[in-house]
Amino acid sequence: MRCAEIFGLGLLGSYLPYMLEGAIWTFALVGGGLTLGFAMGVPFAILRVYGGKGAKAAIDAYVWVYRSIPLIVLLFLYYWGIFPVILGVKLSAMATSILALGTRDAAYETMIFRAALESIDPGQMLAARSLGMTRWQAVRTIVLPQALRIAIPGWTNQYAIMLKDSSICFALGVLEILTRTRYVTISIGSYFIPYLIAGILFIILTYGGTKVFNIVYEKVQIPGLVGGK
Amino acid sequence: MNSNIPVLKVENLKKSYSGRIILDGVNLEVDKGETKVILGPSGVGKSTLLRCINMLTLPDSGKIWLEGVELTNPNTDINKMRQKIGFVFQDFNLFHHLTVLKNVTIGLTKVKKIPEEEAIKIAASALEKVHIPNTLWNKYPAQISGGEKQRVAIARALAMKPSIMLYDEPTSALDPQLVGEVLQVIKELSTAGMTSLIVTHELHFALEVANELLFIYNGKIVEQGPPEEVFANPKHDMVKKYIASIYSRKG
Ligand SMILES: Nc1ncnc2c1ncn2[C@@H]1O[C@H](COP(=O)(O)OP(=O)(O)OP(=O)(O)O)[C@@H](O)[C@H]1O
Ligand SMILES: [Mg+2]
Repeated sequence: MRCAEIFGLGLLGSYLPYMLEGAIWTFALVGGGLTLGFAMGVPFAILRVYGGKGAKAAIDAYVWVYRSIPLIVLLFLYYWGIFPVILGVKLSAMATSILALGTRDAAYETMIFRAALESIDPGQMLAARSLGMTRWQAVRTIVLPQALRIAIPGWTNQYAIMLKDSSICFALGVLEILTRTRYVTISIGSYFIPYLIAGILFIILTYGGTKVFNIVYEKVQIPGLVGGK
Repeated sequence: MNSNIPVLKVENLKKSYSGRIILDGVNLEVDKGETKVILGPSGVGKSTLLRCINMLTLPDSGKIWLEGVELTNPNTDINKMRQKIGFVFQDFNLFHHLTVLKNVTIGLTKVKKIPEEEAIKIAASALEKVHIPNTLWNKYPAQISGGEKQRVAIARALAMKPSIMLYDEPTSALDPQLVGEVLQVIKELSTAGMTSLIVTHELHFALEVANELLFIYNGKIVEQGPPEEVFANPKHDMVKKYIASIYSRKG
């Protein structure tokens, strides 16, 4: 009984649903961030591999900048600077967070997908061109479908990383897992159990999401393609 | 189409790689229905020549015509012209992520914009010509043998109904026991009238299939003629040595 009091176990029922809701927010942050990162990273990588000199330099600069800035700096920069001051738009903390996570993820996805594109045997492109495909047709129908499959493990990794990084968004007060955990600890005056639950929630999200990625990877697997059987 | 113009004409073709001259003025013609075989030691530029012909490698100078259309003219739609040039690679280059059937239909559906159903019919006929049974149609390249892969690659090129087939050492990557089935298919196609330009080291095959042999050395065609003549009476030293070396290798 005393033990339960120290750890705030008795209050568990009152704050657990509140924390679980945080998991949904965390998941939304990561879902949004990954989608944005993917939507930017794939075309960036294609430009980086097949584009002209200018495009290559621009992509390299983007990757370099976004790999250099700590996520929390990026968050504040977006929230207090770039969007309200320079672009004149007031974005919610949630939207800003997704933009920060996504634009940063785009830099890493560019690298992952570039490596996948470059790992495709140049003979595939030659064969496609020899049939009369344009360069873009060959990229789209022959190289991309192979590279996308190869890149899935890299993206699985990005998911796991972003899941954890997303907790930094508590700095803007986004109601994700960490923010809610902090509120709970303050209100019940006990730390251990809420943070234990937060940790478990992250473990579950990492496990579940990774599992989904792995299932997709298996499903789209083609015999003989890298990683296939 | 004027039947007097050759299917393929190459005039004074030159190509260097970083200052090293590989092709130094190659001239050749292939007429409709003809099969010519290019021979020569390793590294003389046989692959370079074939790749220049369909402009996968850009020549430095010289001209190439396919059925009277100049491929080397920058205004020519090269993607359109490449549809008419079947290219068979040494290492097959089948599309890894596509089934056997899809490998053959993709050029038809994506490049020629032929409806899927009709493309399958054309592919079926091409696959039949290279003796690929329909039990293999849904297999992926990694699931079939090297000889089968190369025959599918030939079908892929054939399905486009090309004016000429270019083969770059089509059997060099194969285990010895698989060479025969591929050469047999190429021979059948040639005999049936497919205009072909073949790079190979299979002398016996060259003798059987070629209307003319072309020997490349030092960037030029140094000897050419009907196989019997060239073999009976080789003039160029390299050709003599080459023929001798192949025969001694085969024992
Ligand atoms: N892209 C390239 N860049 C630089 N050098 C090249 C390139 N492609 C080929 N070469 C060189 O050009 C020469 C001719 O090569 P090529 O592949 O055409 O010879 P080949 O006659 O086909 O030889 P093999 O019988 O070995 O296939 C070789 O010395 C090769 O190293
Ligand atoms: Mg070669």
